[in-house]
Amino acid sequence: MTSVAERDGKAGAVTRPAPLGRRRDLGWIGIPLVALAGLAAYWLLPDDLALLTRIAASALFVLSLDLVLGYGGIATLGQAAMFGTGAYAAGIVAVNWNNDPFVMLAAGGLAGGLIALATGALILHARGLTLLMLTIAVGQIVQEVANKARDWTGGSDGLSGIDPAPVLGLFRFDMFGRTSYLFALAVLVAGLLVARRIVRSPFGLACRGVKEDPLRISAIGGSPKSYLVALYGVAGVFAGVAGGLTAVTSGIVGLDSAGFPWSAEALVMLVLGGTGRLYGAVIGTAAFMGIHHILAASDPFHWMGFIGLFLIGIVLFLPGGIASGLERLGGLLRRPAGQGEGGA
Amino acid sequence: MTKLLEVEGLSKNFGGLQVSSDITMTLSAGDRCALIGPNGAGKTTFVNLVTGVIPPSAGTIRLDGRDITRLPAAERVRLGLIRSFQVARLFKSMTVREHLELAVLQRDRRTFRPFANVAKVAGLADEVAGLLDAMGLTHAAHTAVGSLAYGQQRLLEIALALAMKPKVLILDEPAAGVPHSESQRILDAIDRLPKDLAVLMIEHDMDLVFRFAKTIVVLAQGRLLCSGTAREIVADPRVREVYLGSRADAH
Repeated sequence: MTSVAERDGKAGAVTRPAPLGRRRDLGWIGIPLVALAGLAAYWLLPDDLALLTRIAASALFVLSLDLVLGYGGIATLGQAAMFGTGAYAAGIVAVNWNNDPFVMLAAGGLAGGLIALATGALILHARGLTLLMLTIAVGQIVQEVANKARDWTGGSDGLSGIDPAPVLGLFRFDMFGRTSYLFALAVLVAGLLVARRIVRSPFGLACRGVKEDPLRISAIGGSPKSYLVALYGVAGVFAGVAGGLTAVTSGIVGLDSAGFPWSAEALVMLVLGGTGRLYGAVIGTAAFMGIHHILAASDPFHWMGFIGLFLIGIVLFLPGGIASGLERLGGLLRRPAGQGEGGA
Repeated sequence: MTKLLEVEGLSKNFGGLQVSSDITMTLSAGDRCALIGPNGAGKTTFVNLVTGVIPPSAGTIRLDGRDITRLPAAERVRLGLIRSFQVARLFKSMTVREHLELAVLQRDRRTFRPFANVAKVAGLADEVAGLLDAMGLTHAAHTAVGSLAYGQQRLLEIALALAMKPKVLILDEPAAGVPHSESQRILDAIDRLPKDLAVLMIEHDMDLVFRFAKTIVVLAQGRLLCSGTAREIVADPRVREVYLGSRADAH
């Protein structure tokens, strides 16, 4: 026993027990920062609440993509299938049965999770390009089903007439979009907290293992596919809630909510922000949609070109996304202060 | 002694090519057995057959009395038949500690808990600390495996296997790629394995084999050539023949 203590003590004295196991997020400050920035934006940009609301709901969707891609290594271009299903489920429930916003979110999450589990069980044996093709196919099928089921979804006209009840029976959705934005921000922050909990759980640890080496997971007695399907389902719940949130805050659901471009755009936003960090999804979404908004207003003819240049710049100079740049900056600031985090 | 692994008449054909034929051997609790043979003798095929990576053409495998011949690889792992890999197969971005946490959680089937906190799972921290100490990896616990020295990666391989609480442990060239000067550390770690464990080591380095093994099994051309104590094997002319070629014919 004493020899153990001695050895530990010596090792600790000789080599600094530097926590090289890099933090995958900014520790405890990432999520409060999102909440604070969101509230600051509410005061600073009162005329852009509609845009901010879209950003918050989209960020939750991109977060769902980070769960599957950043923590499970599942390459997908069909995440909008879950978003669209959730949005339609929330809208249909609101129009026909119950327009409480929380009921709508629950309906969206349930529908998104179920469609993800069902399709995930079918397609997740594949990897790489094959899987990419299959996820696109699932998205197309969902979109086509929504198109054909006109009686429920409104087909290509979209599902309109969604009129959510006041939040908790107290806060009406006002014409300035204040309630919408604060509700969306609250749901996003709650989503971040839950996602953080999940990626730090035993389940999250196992999923990271599958991402790195599925065969090694089999060699310690685990089933890589069951982890991936479960993760896909969990992310489907997030995407479905994001879809439901869009239905609540915009009052309309269109076919494009399940479309391929929306899946691809989410991937661009995630890569822009940085994968495998959770808050990278928020940064990427805010950056992409914010710049999109500014450029489209200032130069309606060439804004697409500028977006392209911006993306190329990020990929060239910050391959880990904006979040990796922030982390490096944070590391530079912290090191001179000489703050050693407790190793063991 | 309880027989932990019983292999009977194990054979494997790939088309007309017989890579393993009629191999029979047993491992009992506490055994320290080395499996040797020249290149192409079918050592890796044998390990793959026993661990369930490939199905056998004929024969039976029993683990602790239970027929596991038809069980999938992951199920055999859950029953206590564990292997380490010849080339360290680890999760590069994860820390040493995370590897062991994952292995212990997986062993206890506690991984499908999306809302638990790894840091607060009962008993986990203590068990991981014990494993780290047993392999002398305590000071490297928070190091990402990608930046770990190769010898330490090999130690982690063994620690991972140990975390699975094996009954039978198959070590596939545990010191491969490690400088000779450091292989002693690996051997020390192997010496500290629980005594009631049956260990089968596949190894080329005869130095290591003689230091580790109480018994040796020799494979040649997919067949079991002979088995016995180290002394018997060294004295056996057939072993010389397969290792040194057919020069023995000149006698």
